[in-house]
Amino acid sequence: MRFALRLLSAAAVLAVLAVLARPAAGELVKLVKPEQYRSRVVAAKKGRVVLVNFWATWCEPCREEMPALVAAAKGFPVKDVAVALVSTDSLKKTPDVQKFLASQKIPFVCWQAKSTDPQRFIEAVDKTWNGVVPYTLVYDRKGELAARLLGPQTEQSFAEAVRKALVAGP
Amino acid sequence: MKKLPAVASFASFLVVLSAAALGVRAADLKIAELKIGAPAPDFTLPNASDGKAVALKDLLAKDKAVAVVFVATKCPVSNAYNTRMAALGKEYAAKGIPLVGINSNKTEPAAEVKQHAEKHGFTFPVLKDEGNKVADAYGASHTPEVFVLDAKGNVIYHGRIDENQDDPKNVKSPDLRNALDAVLAGKPVPTARTKAFGCSIKRV
Repeated sequence: MRFALRLLSAAAVLAVLAVLARPAAGELVKLVKPEQYRSRVVAAKKGRVVLVNFWATWCEPCREEMPALVAAAKGFPVKDVAVALVSTDSLKKTPDVQKFLASQKIPFVCWQAKSTDPQRFIEAVDKTWNGVVPYTLVYDRKGELAARLLGPQTEQSFAEAVRKALVAGP
Repeated sequence: MKKLPAVASFASFLVVLSAAALGVRAADLKIAELKIGAPAPDFTLPNASDGKAVALKDLLAKDKAVAVVFVATKCPVSNAYNTRMAALGKEYAAKGIPLVGINSNKTEPAAEVKQHAEKHGFTFPVLKDEGNKVADAYGASHTPEVFVLDAKGNVIYHGRIDENQDDPKNVKSPDLRNALDAVLAGKPVPTARTKAFGCSIKRV
């Protein structure tokens, strides 16, 4: 009986912890400044291949390609590949970004560009980028840029770019 | 002087080469951007409001400069600039620099463009670019995206309207206005190239 009680209370504690550990609605999206892009979005995953997908809620082709990225990511080995989204929506639209991610059950970390001047963010990410989304960058294990994918992608093209980056790495 | 084209073509060869190495698809490379100082291709397109043809060369013949703005009806970023575009259009047309809108989106028919222009009080014409031929010739990729042409038809500014889509009252870098004011003052454009941001042009 005592054992059962202990088990029950342990389960209750675990349940409370699980609820607490779940990100609050406001944490679905993390803001990233232009100068933090390399360190927070890319370098933080060093040792893994990182795929970063730039998108926006108002961008139809971005929303349309998201399921392909979700599907491709299911085939990525978690210990070797990290996927991150970066929303280029205006900061007023954070609730829309959160709503989309939640409604579509998008399983990736999502950052949102925090800059009053979009050009600063675009250039901090990739000087050759003209800012059009969707745009996807793949970094190798050392954090070096391995592929630029312009425009909407397919499950295969996402998978292929990641596969190449994995092969190229040490 | 003769060396320049060779250097330029070698540079573009390198760009293609590195783009290929980085896995950029060939289709994405076909749109070449019109460079600052380059002559802008002429165009004649129908005004979405009345179907009448508008020719760039006619505008250039009588005006100090022309601001060509690629716009959209559905893009929220382009729409964030409607009031600003209407105001800039009125203000600078009176000073001898007309604004000309171009809608190249295959998803937005002329009737919709007309309605949108009326709703937002655009006094400048919005032309319908079927088959996105002019967008291709200019290398335009976004809405909104601006090309300012001097009286000779050369590109003197290319990029955004300003940096702040959210708050017109808090604009710190009114790049289009700076370019137009420079033309009126007979001075060189302070920042000739900025990065446009917004929605991609929906091409055929």
